[in-house]
Amino acid sequence: MPAVVVPAVIVVGAVIAPLQASAVIVLPEKTPEELLEFASSSEVRALSGTIEQNSRLGLPDLSGVTGSPGGSEGADIASTLELVTGSHTARVYLNGPTNARIQVLDQLAERNIVRSGGDVWFYDSEDRTASHATLPAGAEAPRVQTPERLADRFLASIDQTTEVTVGTNAQVAGRPAYQLVLTPLDDDTLVASVTIAIDSETGLAVGVEILASGGTAPAFALAFTELSLATPDAGLFAFTPPPGTTVTELTEAETREEPTDRPGKSSHSVSGEGWSSILEIPASEVPSEFAASPLLASASQEVSGGRLLSTALVNVLVTDDGRLLLGSVTADRLQDAAAGL
Amino acid sequence: MSSESAVTGARRASGWALLVSELSVLFRRRRTNALLLALAAIPILIAVALRLSSSGPRAGRGPPFLDQVAQNGLFVGVTALVVAIPLFLPLTVGVVAGDTIAGEASHGTLRYLLVAPAGRARLLAVKYIGAAAFCVVAVLVVVVTGTLVGAALFPVGPVTLLSGDTIPVGEAFARFLAIAGYVTVSLLGLSAIGLFFSTLTDVPVGAMAATITFSVATQILGALPQLEGLHPWLFSHYWLAFADLLRQPISWESFGDNALLQVGYIALFGALALGRFLTRDVLS
Repeated sequence: MPAVVVPAVIVVGAVIAPLQASAVIVLPEKTPEELLEFASSSEVRALSGTIEQNSRLGLPDLSGVTGSPGGSEGADIASTLELVTGSHTARVYLNGPTNARIQVLDQLAERNIVRSGGDVWFYDSEDRTASHATLPAGAEAPRVQTPERLADRFLASIDQTTEVTVGTNAQVAGRPAYQLVLTPLDDDTLVASVTIAIDSETGLAVGVEILASGGTAPAFALAFTELSLATPDAGLFAFTPPPGTTVTELTEAETREEPTDRPGKSSHSVSGEGWSSILEIPASEVPSEFAASPLLASASQEVSGGRLLSTALVNVLVTDDGRLLLGSVTADRLQDAAAGL
Repeated sequence: MSSESAVTGARRASGWALLVSELSVLFRRRRTNALLLALAAIPILIAVALRLSSSGPRAGRGPPFLDQVAQNGLFVGVTALVVAIPLFLPLTVGVVAGDTIAGEASHGTLRYLLVAPAGRARLLAVKYIGAAAFCVVAVLVVVVTGTLVGAALFPVGPVTLLSGDTIPVGEAFARFLAIAGYVTVSLLGLSAIGLFFSTLTDVPVGAMAATITFSVATQILGALPQLEGLHPWLFSHYWLAFADLLRQPISWESFGDNALLQVGYIALFGALALGRFLTRDVLS
């Protein structure tokens, strides 16, 4: 008897428990406008929580390339790509605009960014290196993607080509949340919809899911799995490099972020509008290590006019004459834009 | 009524007697001692090899934590655990758990055990507790030997956590003990699987080999990214997540997830073992 009953109970439990989690959540109704207003009025200054990022961009597995002896520049590109494309768990502690700590939890290792006032520390437990930078007064914190920041970018770009609706309520990090759905009215973009979960109590954006056209599971998801609004322990923001660590002092120029994705600077040009806009970087400004990296060669495919790096959400085209075109549009649109059509 | 409760009492007393004798037989057995010695050899080998080599290991090379050992001997235990978890610990646990019932059957002693008024279910529980006790001792042997050898051969000082924070030696000991607890819990599911395989056969080597193969196969499945959906259900999924206890602040989440998963495996394979053992004809 027990040989049959216990396995059955376990299987039933494993199936039913997730179903119960998705029970209907009742919240006072809000119109899209009210919800946008609610989100922008959010005043959360201190929090601690765990963020999970999952991306299924349809890129080939990069883990093999990451370890290749391609020089430090190649490794830099690979590790940046790895952060964007892989699945990661990170713990985030924030207190006010100038105290922040982000811990990317890797297996048997951890990467830390600690900001306390003007001091920023980067620490990598794997090679036990730390780097320190001093930010000029009033500078922006190092760019770390939290659901809130990502949501802000999408909310800021709402225009007439976006339909804003309120989706079904959800449970995010154990808290009831509204869901705001942005649907591009543009057929050329690869983005089918962007769903932003907004905490029902504070208006804080607690999750972002991007659905690619033709996909059923989110191609990219970033959300809190745990969230506490209590002020984190002040000791978390005080960082002293542990003994035996190689410490590098970063100069101001290295600290400054390269605005690669921000149009309007230097000679980058943007064509198209809204969701299907295409960024074009002239050959002279494409970093040479990117164009020559073995990563690009192994992950991209030959198309007429250049090499195409295709993912579920973004297509990147490196033309034969060295220009780089990037956009959340179909490959055909990119090739047309490259040809000047 | 009174005779019935007397029988229950006799069974319970007999169960305790059985447990005491099982544990003393298990830990007096030469094979068990050899297994524990082999486990103790892992941290000793690591520490001695590091001490003798002139150039210390470079950061980021070799098993995790290895480069920390030269500066802090306390890391020998943790490094040895990282090395032992994928193969050596499952190997020893497989040998002990696979032997539980099949070993008695092959010696022809199983029927004598069943003559005692403890009952088959109690005997199975006693055998499982014996295997679990071995898990506790095996992990402690690795951690304690590692810490002692490390302290003897290398300087000892405040411990650097994965997060880059530094904690005093006393707190570090507490965390290492918590890690030992975590790894012990991690092995309980595999012990239940070994117990089940052991009820299937009279050939202990078969049950041991099956258990160890199962453990290796599971870890191979866990390494394939194509089977991502399956990974959270594999008993080896959280094995290396013991490092969460070396973060600041400690993350207990994986400890809880791991414990729940192992309880599931114990319930499932315990029930299968019970179902098999209660209905089995014991001829030897």
